[in-house]
Amino acid sequence: MALPLSYGWRSLLARGMRTVFTVAVIALVVIATTLFWSLIASLKRTLVSSGSAENLVVMRKGATNDGSSQLTLESLQAIRFFEGIARDSEGNPLISPELVVQPFFATADGGRENVLVRGVEPVALLVHDEVSIAEGRLFNTSSGEAVVGRGVAQRYKDASIGSELKFGRGTWTVVGILESEGSSFESEVWVDARQLANDAKRTLPYSGFRVRVAKGADMDALARRIADDPRFALEATREIDYYENLSSSANTLYVIVVGLAVLAGIGAIFGATNTMYAAVQARTSEIGTLRALGFSRAAILFSFLSESVMTALFAFGVGALGAWALAIFISWLLGGIAFGAATFTTNVIQLRVAPVDLLMPFALSVLIGVFGGLAPAARAARMRPVDALRKA
Amino acid sequence: MIDITNVSRVYQRGADEIHALEHVSLHVSKGRFVALMGPSGSGKSTLLNVLAGLDRPNAGEVVVGGRRLNELSEDQLAEFRAHTVGFVFQFFNLIPVLSAVENVELPLLLTKLSRAERRQRAETALRIVGLAERGDHLPRQLSGGEQQRVAIARAIVTDADLVVADEPTGDLDARNAEEILSLLQTLKRDFGKTIVIVTHDPRAEKWVDEVIHLDKGLLLETRPGGGLRDVAAS
Amino acid sequence: MKYLPFVLRNLGRNKLRSLLTASAIALAIALVCILRTMPAGLDSFLSSIASNTRVSTHNEAGMVYAMPYAYLQKVRAIPGVVAAISWQWFGGAVDLSKGVAFPNFAVDPEDFGRVYEDWNIAPQALEDFRKYRDAALVGRGTLEKNGWKVGDVVTLQSTVFPMQLSFRIVGEVPNPRATQFYFQREYLVQAFQASGTPIDSTGMIWSRIDDPDRVEPIMRQIDEMFRNGEAETASETEKSFFGNFFSSLKGIVAVIQIVAGIVTLCIVFIAANTASMSVRERVGEIAILRAIGFRRKIVFSTLLAEAAILSTLAGVAGALVSLGLTLMLRNLTSSGPQLGPLTGFIVTDTILVQALFLAFLIGIVSGWLPALGASRRSVAQTLREVF
Repeated sequence: MALPLSYGWRSLLARGMRTVFTVAVIALVVIATTLFWSLIASLKRTLVSSGSAENLVVMRKGATNDGSSQLTLESLQAIRFFEGIARDSEGNPLISPELVVQPFFATADGGRENVLVRGVEPVALLVHDEVSIAEGRLFNTSSGEAVVGRGVAQRYKDASIGSELKFGRGTWTVVGILESEGSSFESEVWVDARQLANDAKRTLPYSGFRVRVAKGADMDALARRIADDPRFALEATREIDYYENLSSSANTLYVIVVGLAVLAGIGAIFGATNTMYAAVQARTSEIGTLRALGFSRAAILFSFLSESVMTALFAFGVGALGAWALAIFISWLLGGIAFGAATFTTNVIQLRVAPVDLLMPFALSVLIGVFGGLAPAARAARMRPVDALRKA
Repeated sequence: MIDITNVSRVYQRGADEIHALEHVSLHVSKGRFVALMGPSGSGKSTLLNVLAGLDRPNAGEVVVGGRRLNELSEDQLAEFRAHTVGFVFQFFNLIPVLSAVENVELPLLLTKLSRAERRQRAETALRIVGLAERGDHLPRQLSGGEQQRVAIARAIVTDADLVVADEPTGDLDARNAEEILSLLQTLKRDFGKTIVIVTHDPRAEKWVDEVIHLDKGLLLETRPGGGLRDVAAS
Repeated sequence: MKYLPFVLRNLGRNKLRSLLTASAIALAIALVCILRTMPAGLDSFLSSIASNTRVSTHNEAGMVYAMPYAYLQKVRAIPGVVAAISWQWFGGAVDLSKGVAFPNFAVDPEDFGRVYEDWNIAPQALEDFRKYRDAALVGRGTLEKNGWKVGDVVTLQSTVFPMQLSFRIVGEVPNPRATQFYFQREYLVQAFQASGTPIDSTGMIWSRIDDPDRVEPIMRQIDEMFRNGEAETASETEKSFFGNFFSSLKGIVAVIQIVAGIVTLCIVFIAANTASMSVRERVGEIAILRAIGFRRKIVFSTLLAEAAILSTLAGVAGALVSLGLTLMLRNLTSSGPQLGPLTGFIVTDTILVQALFLAFLIGIVSGWLPALGASRRSVAQTLREVF
C-alpha cells in the first residue's frame, strides 16, 4: 500500500522553518533563471515577431541590414511590376520603398541612443500589415510630421503626441503613435521618405524595399528573379528570415542563461538534499514505525521523493509569480530595456515573462525536486525497521 | 561547601506551571559524597542544577564554596562553573568529533594554560580514571562505561572542588555502574572532592555518605549511606 | 585562536552536509563572479579610455550621418590641436554569414600614432602603416580571436559599401581588450575611384589636444566653426563618447545585477538553512558546553566562526571554478561590436576579492541568528527538555 500524500505535505508543514528556507532557495533560483531567460526571449520575440511571412526584404547585395543598404529609384521602378507582387484594389503594386537612417535621440534620463528612423510612403501601412496607428494619425507628406512607435514614446524625450521631436537636422512634430503587436517597429520612428532623404542629405533615396507577395505566388521564385536581375545588384530575403538573422546576436546570451540555470540548479539541488537528509534523520523512528507497520520500501521512497517534489513545485509557483511581477516592475522602472541590435540601433524591449518562458524553469524545478530528494529518500527506504526503532 | 536556604523553583512547561522545588534547605559539608534520590519529577535534577549554578531559584539563597550564587550575573555564573564545578551528565557528555583526551581538555581552554600544560593535565586526569591508553579514541569507539569515565576525567581536570553528576549510571549495566560509583568514591577519598549525584539507582546507596530523599519538590529525609559506614568501619 | 581546531572539527561532524553546503555556495559564488564579469567588463573598458585629451567630433545628427572630409584640415588648423585623424566605418566582415565581428575603420595613417600615443603601438608598425597602402593595424583581442599574426593577409567584405578589400597586417594595438581594425583611408578612396564614385566624406574626426584644460574650449570652438555649415558637429571627450555608445546596454546590465543579487540571496538561505540545522542537532551538546563554563560569547563566536569558515572556503573554491568557466565561455562565444566588452568574460582581481568578501559576509549573516539563538538558550531549560 502507498502512503497518502497528506502524510508528505503535513510533514512539510510541521517542519516550518526548514521548508521555508528550501522553498526560498528554489524560488529564488526560479526567479533568477526566469528573469534572465525572459530578457533574451523578450528580445527575440520583439525581433522575430517583426516581419510578415508574406513579405520580402529587398536590399543591395551584400548588405546585412537595411540601414547600410542604398538603392536607386530606377531599381524600384524596374521591379515594381514583377509578377508575384501583390496589388491593392486599384492595381497598384504593394511595394514599400523605405529609407533607414539612425540618428541620435536623447533619452528621458539624459543618455543618447541611436534610433531607427524609417522614411516611408503611405503604402507602408499596407505592406506592414501588423503595424497600425494606435493613437493620433499618420503624418502628412512634406509636413515635417512623424509617428513614433510605442516604445519610442516611452523612452525618449519629447516623443509624445504633440511634442516637437528633435533629431537629424531638424524638428518634427509627433502626430501619432504606432503599434505593431510588440515587434521591433515599436522602437522606430516613421516619417515621410522624401523629407528624411533631404534631412540626411542622401543622394540615393532609398535603403530598401519591402514587398508584399501575392497570395499563392511562389515567393522563392520572385526572390530569385529580383536577385538575378543583371541591371542592379539586389537581393531579396523573406522578412521573417531577415529579422531572425538580426536577432542571432542574442544567441550568445542564451548560452549564458542555460549555463546559469545549470549552475544555480545544481546549487539548489545540494541545498534541497541537505534539508531532506536532515528530515530523514529527524524522522528515523517515524520511518521505523511505518516500516514495522508494513509499508514497503518503495512506499517510503516514493513518499519522501514526493515531499521533495511537492516542495519544489510549490517553490516554482512562488518563483514564477515573483518573476512575472518583478519583470513588469523592472521594465516600468527602467522605461523598457534597451538593446543595441546588429543594426546599430536600439530596440526597446518590454521585459515580460510569457508562459512559454516558464517551461525551462519548470523543468529545472522538477529536476531539483527529484534529484534533491533522491538520495535521502533512498536512505530512508533502506532503513531496517529494527535499526530505526533502536536509534530512537 | 554547599548551603541552600529555603529555595523554591517554578517553571513553565507548555501550558503547565511546574513547582519543581518547594522551600528546600540543604547543607553539604566539604568532602562529602551525597546522593539526591527520589521518583521522577521529584525535583532532584532541578536541585542539582541550582546548586551547580545552572539554574536560578525563584526564592531562597544559594551559597556554594563561599559564593552567593544569587548575586552573580550570567557570565559570572559561567566563570564560577568553570572554576568550581565539574559536570557529568547521563547523555551527550562528550563532543563526538573530539578524541577522549581533547574532550577532557575542553574546560582547560577557558584557562590561561599553554597547550602543553593543557595536554599534560588532561592525560593525568585520564590516568586517574584508568583510561590513559584510550586518549586518542573518539567517543563512538568507547563503550558506555568508558565514555562516562572520560566525562569524569573532564569533570576533575580543572581541579574543581565540586563534582555534580546527573544520573551518571543511568545508561549503564551493573558492572559498569559499580565501576563508576567506585571511581566517584575514590575522588572523594583521595582528592577531597565534594560530590553530589542525582540518581534513582538503589545501588548507589552503598557508596555514598548521605542519601537525600526528595518527592514532589520537597526534601523528605536525610540518612547516612553505605560509604559513611565503610569509612567508620575502617 | 585556540578554539580553531574545535571549530574545524565541528565542520567535519557531518561531512556530507558540509560538503553539500560548501558545493552549493561555491557554485553560487562562481555564478556571481561570472555575472559580474559582464558589467565589470564594461566598466573597465570605459575607464581604460584613459586619455582625457582626446576628442571626438561627429555629425550632430548622428553617427551614421557623414561630414565633409574637408573638415579634417580645418580642425587640424586650430591652435592646441596636436594632431587629428578621421575614421570612416567600413563595416567589413570576414564571413558575411557571421556578420561584422569587430569594428573596422579607414583612417589617416600619418598622424595616427600621434593621436594615439598612449596606445603604445610599436614605432616600426606605425611606420609600416604609413608606408604600405594596404597595411592594417589590428587590436590584440581580434588577432588572438582569429588566430592572426603580423604579416598575415586578410580580406574583409564591406557590408556598407559594395566592395571587398585585402589587407596586410603590419602591427598590433597591444591592449588585449582592443578589437579594432584600422587601414589606410587612401586605400578606400582609391577603391571608390576605381568604381567610378568618389568619396569625400568621413564619419568621425579624432583629435588630440595639447593641454587637458584646453579641451573644453577647443571642443566648443570646433562646433562653433561648423555651425550653420554643411554638417553641424558635436564634439565630446573620448570618455563621454564611449559612455554614450554603450549606454544602451544599461538596461541589460541592470537586469544582470539584479539576477546576481538574487543568486546571492539564495546563497544566504542555503547557508542559513545548514547553520540552523547543524545547530539544532547540537542543542544538548551546546548546553553541556555552557554548563562546563563556556560563556555565551564564546559559544556564539565558535558557532559563527564555523559558518564563516565554511562559507569563505566555499567562496575560494567558487572563485577558482569561475576562472575555469570563464575560460570556457571566452572560447565558446564571440564578441560582436553590439555586445562588445560585455562578453569579454574576464574575471578580474577585484571581482575575486569581492567574491571572497561576499562569501565571508554570507557566512556571518547566515550563521548569526542560529548561533545567537543557540548561545542564548537557557541551559537548565535545555537540559530539562533533552533529558
